[in-house]
Amino acid sequence: MPENTSYMIAAYVVAAVVYLVYGGSLLTRGLRALRRDR
Amino acid sequence: MKPTISGSRGIIKWGVALTILGLAALAAIYVLALVYTPLEVRQGAAQKIFYVHVPAAWSAMIAFSLVGLVSILYLWLRDERLDAFAASSAEVGLVFSVIMLTTGPIWGKPIWGTWWTWDARLTLTLILFLLFLGYMTLRSAIHDPAERARFSAVVGIMGMVLVPFIHLSVYLFRTLHPQPIILKASAPSLPPEMLRTLLLGFLAATTVYLGFVVLRYGLARHAMAEFDEEN
Amino acid sequence: MNSWLRVAAAVAGKDIVIEVRTKTAILSAVVFAALVLIIFNFARDASLVSTAVLAPSVLWITFAFAGMITLNRGFNLEKENAALEGLLLAPVPRSAIYVGKLISNLAFVGMVEAVALPLFVLFFNVPVWGILPGLLGLIVLATVGFVAVGTVFSAMTVRTRFSELMLPMLLLPFMVPPLIGAVQTTTRLLAGRPLSEMIGWLRILALYDVVFITLCVLIFPAVVDE
Repeated sequence: MPENTSYMIAAYVVAAVVYLVYGGSLLTRGLRALRRDR
Repeated sequence: MKPTISGSRGIIKWGVALTILGLAALAAIYVLALVYTPLEVRQGAAQKIFYVHVPAAWSAMIAFSLVGLVSILYLWLRDERLDAFAASSAEVGLVFSVIMLTTGPIWGKPIWGTWWTWDARLTLTLILFLLFLGYMTLRSAIHDPAERARFSAVVGIMGMVLVPFIHLSVYLFRTLHPQPIILKASAPSLPPEMLRTLLLGFLAATTVYLGFVVLRYGLARHAMAEFDEEN
Repeated sequence: MNSWLRVAAAVAGKDIVIEVRTKTAILSAVVFAALVLIIFNFARDASLVSTAVLAPSVLWITFAFAGMITLNRGFNLEKENAALEGLLLAPVPRSAIYVGKLISNLAFVGMVEAVALPLFVLFFNVPVWGILPGLLGLIVLATVGFVAVGTVFSAMTVRTRFSELMLPMLLLPFMVPPLIGAVQTTTRLLAGRPLSEMIGWLRILALYDVVFITLCVLIFPAVVDE
């Protein structure tokens, strides 16, 4: 493995975490809102 | 026109669908970039950060431009829904610019040897981040909705006009102080597999942007409608 | 046209008279500028960093932050007197109000810069006599840029809770082009470089001023009107 693989992994993980945390919180709020008015 | 609960539900449903689709597309890009796209010989594995960083930058720019354009529309039409959309786009843009600001230096350290460099791209990323942050902070400090909408629109428009000047200044600075290392983030001749992954990355990032902004906007409309029904 | 000028002059004049009487903004900004200059002077190691390298940045950091302090006070006066509210009730052209505010803010920041510049020359032993006209022109060009934007933003932030924090936060990105241009040009002026090396920056500064003053005049009504 090339020596800068750890950087690649770090970047991919950080980005994934941000997308999932933000997306996850939006999805949770969205589904909760849809459920609430039923 | 008053926002209705039922109207906002429709928007939320679209937002949920687009977000899930976008995140799935993103996961596919991850697999594509990490497994199937060839390794770049000179830069090594770190070059692959490119496929995450550049699409995020693209989405941040879309987000930012929409904030500016919708702000103009708001000041013209004074429809509170336009303000809700601009605010949603700013929040989503902030998220994308955080991704840019984190992946950028992580990419820079192995490639350029330094975490930060005042080149056009990173400087603009930082400015965008600060503009988004300022926009959101200002909104949180104003309680009257109409005033908040007006002031946000002003900041949004002024930010949009500022960006070309940042470009100009950094460009002039760079031509007088050239980088010691030639930055070739996007090589002039990208092999087809890399180009394809990048283009698909743009598609995924755009879908994620749309999903996030529509969902966030739907939530905002829902909150507005609930507030109206209670009063 | 006549009444427009009268309004602008009245707005500017009132603010300047109040400030000359109370002197609060100017004094705090001047003290701040002196402090910055003193600290920078003692903080650097003269053998490591030459004056020529450091001086332009120090000068413009001083101007920038002193300018922000001054801008904050400019509209705070309004809050205390609610005079602006009264003025807005009348069908007065908003562009005249903006230009009046701009002029008074420029006068305030200009007064601070007029005190800070000699201090700077004194503390940093900088030879400015030959380049004084060029330097003054540059100071006007760059200051107009960020004060134009700052006038709009301070009108907004004065109504928020943490106005002293909000104004710098909003204004900082907008200060980047004027400050880069100003520091680059100042460096070249102090080094006695020919005009051709500075013309690029001066053009950007001039363009920035024209574009943003126009934009601010157009957008100011959105800040003060419902």
